[in-house]
Amino acid sequence: MKRLSIFLVGLMAGVTLIGGTSFVLTRFLLPPNFHGMVMQSQQPACNFTLTSHYGQPVSLSDYRGKVVLLYFGYGACPDVCPATLVELARARATLGKDAEKAQVLMITVDPERDTQEKLAEYITFFDRSFIGLTGTPAQIAEVATYYGIYYAKHQEETALGYLVDHTATVMLIDKEGYLRIVYPFGTPAKDFAEDLKYLVAR
Amino acid sequence: MKPLYVLYGVVGATVLSLSAFAIFQPIKVLPRMNLAPALTLVDQSWALLTNEDMRGKIALYNFTYTRCVSPCPPTTDVMRTLQAQLNQFDSQGYAVRLVTISFDERDSTQDLQRLAQQVNADTTRWKFATGEKEKLKYALGGGFNLYYAAAPDGGITFDPLFVLVDGWGIVRAEYRTASPAIERILRDVQLVIGEARNSVGAGRYAYEAAHLFLCYPK
Repeated sequence: MKRLSIFLVGLMAGVTLIGGTSFVLTRFLLPPNFHGMVMQSQQPACNFTLTSHYGQPVSLSDYRGKVVLLYFGYGACPDVCPATLVELARARATLGKDAEKAQVLMITVDPERDTQEKLAEYITFFDRSFIGLTGTPAQIAEVATYYGIYYAKHQEETALGYLVDHTATVMLIDKEGYLRIVYPFGTPAKDFAEDLKYLVAR
Repeated sequence: MKPLYVLYGVVGATVLSLSAFAIFQPIKVLPRMNLAPALTLVDQSWALLTNEDMRGKIALYNFTYTRCVSPCPPTTDVMRTLQAQLNQFDSQGYAVRLVTISFDERDSTQDLQRLAQQVNADTTRWKFATGEKEKLKYALGGGFNLYYAAAPDGGITFDPLFVLVDGWGIVRAEYRTASPAIERILRDVQLVIGEARNSVGAGRYAYEAAHLFLCYPK
C-alpha cells in the first residue's frame, strides 16, 4: 500500500514537472506561430505624418510602444473595409485592459470625399479608439505606394457614387516601429487577437 | 526517478532537434525583406499593369530606359537570358513574370514596344512598362530604393537593380549589380516556389523555423 502511494505521488510529481516544463517551453521560450506573413525587415516601417479625424497631425512614430494595425480603406467602401474593421475591433476587444496598447489606424484612399467629419463618423462606428487618417492626394499616394497599396477609382458608379479598388491587406507594426506581419484580406479576429496578445505583452 | 528521465528526454530531444535544424538548415528560405511598392503602370500594349496583377505570381523587376546607350548597364541582356532559361525551367505551375520598368518620362508605349521587339520578348511573360513621373519616383526611388537621376548629356544615370518579389508582394531578393549570376536568380526563384508550394499545414512550421533560424542560402 505504502509503495503504491509513493508510486502515485511520484507519478503526479512527474506529470506536473513534464507538463509545467512543456508549458514554459511553449509559452515563453518557443516563438509564437504568428498568422499572416512574418517579415524580417531590417529598417523601421516608413514613417508618415497625416491628419487624424480629430484634425491633429499624427505620425506613425507617435505610436512607438504600441502595436499598430495599419489599414487602407475609405468611408464609402461597401464591403471589404467594414468586414476588415469589424474583425479588427473584435480582436482588440479580446485584449481587455491591454487594448490600449494596440492602435488601429485607417488611412483613407479617398481623400476627396473622406472629410474629417465623415472619417470620424465612419471609423468610430467600429471602435471609438480607431483613428482615421487623411491628407492631400499626393501624401496619401506616397504612403500607400510605400506600403504596397494599389488604389484607383472604379470605372462604374454605384448608388454610393464611385468605388475605389484597393489592396486590402492589414499590416502589423510592432512596438519598436518595425513592420512585423502582413495579413491578407479575410483574416479572422481570432488570428489577429492571438498575435496581438503575444505582441502587446512583450 | 523515472518521470525525471522522461522530462530530461523531452527537453533534451527538443533542444537537440532545434539545434540540429539551426546547424544543418534542412530547409533554405529567402528573407521577407520588405513590402514591394504599389505600381500603377502602363505596359507596351497600352494595358494597365499594377502590383495587384502580380499577386500570386513571382515577378522579377529590372529598371532601365529605352534611350540608354553604351556603357548602359546591360540589365536588359540579363532579362533576355532569363527569359530563355525560364522557358526550360520547371516552375511547378507557378507563374513567373519579368517586368522591365522604364523611369524615363520620354518613353512612350511605342518605345517600349520597340524595345520588346528588339529583345524578342515573349510579352505574355515579359512586360515592359512605365508610369507617371511622381508615382514612379515614390515606387522606384522610395519603394525599391533605386537610384536614378538626370545626367547633363540628356541621359539618365542609374544603379543597376533587379528585385525578386513573391506572390504576396514581398521583396525576397535584390541584386544590385548589372550582371548578376543567372543561376543564382533561378535558384532564388526555385526557393520562392518551393516555399509557396510546401509551406502549408505542418510544413508551415518548418518554413517559419527556417526563417527564424535565418536559413538563408549562401
